Amino acid sequence: MMMPGAEETTMSQKSKETGLDRRNFFKALGAGATAAVAPVAVSPAAAVDPGKEETKSRYRETDHIKNYYRTNRY
Amino acid sequence: MARMKFLCDADRCIECNACVTACKNENDVPWGINRRRVVTINDGKPGERSVSMACMHCTDAPCAAVCPVDCFYTTADAVVLHNKDLCIGCGYCFYACPFGAPQYPKLSNFGSRGKMDKCTYCAGGPEVDLSPAEFQKYGSNRLAEGKLPLCAEMCSTKALLAGDGEIIAQIYKERVVKRGYGSGAWGWQTAYRETIAI
Repeated sequence: MMMPGAEETTMSQKSKETGLDRRNFFKALGAGATAAVAPVAVSPAAAVDPGKEETKSRYRETDHIKNYYRTNRY
Repeated sequence: MARMKFLCDADRCIECNACVTACKNENDVPWGINRRRVVTINDGKPGERSVSMACMHCTDAPCAAVCPVDCFYTTADAVVLHNKDLCIGCGYCFYACPFGAPQYPKLSNFGSRGKMDKCTYCAGGPEVDLSPAEFQKYGSNRLAEGKLPLCAEMCSTKALLAGDGEIIAQIYKERVVKRGYGSGAWGWQTAYRETIAI
């Protein structure tokens, strides 16, 4: 016949073997998750860069545009 | 660097709406959207004035400030454009714009999340210049062709000015100095006889 305290002794022995107490399991898990997430949160959000080709100047004073300016002076 | 601007000479605008029609045709603008509109105040009363309105290509554009996906950008010509591939159709820009420039295609009665559409100053979009993809999304790219927006180029009374802000401001100044207060458009007194003060 097993004594009432015998089972407890076996469990605490097991947790000692794994090195992780039942009561500290989630604490350890939480700390691990924070460590994994932290570097992602630090990286800055990158704004969309439309590119040099897209934002380059397209306006040039062609003869067509010069004519437009001339006729608008009337 | 030239800064592209629109300037509407309200004394010359006759509310013919040709700029609106030309814009729709040139850029293949979807149903339910007018990139340019003619607004008339005191309609039918003495002192009636009309002004043609579109995107004013603001220096510090409110549409760009509120966009959650940052799809607006300003070109070296100071033209405010947007990227329809990034646009999520949230509608913030529509509420932010004081001129009602960004609009949405009304494809269905409820829940449609299209891409915002706005005046591009006939400067296309982020796609390759004058490509079919650019025309399909944004309309023509007249600036790349060495021309100015069609709405201004075909204005019959030369009310709507477009181009380098310095030059069109000078043109407007010359007009005001020459005509004084009031309209200098041709045929004004023929149309309204002596009842109109120039």
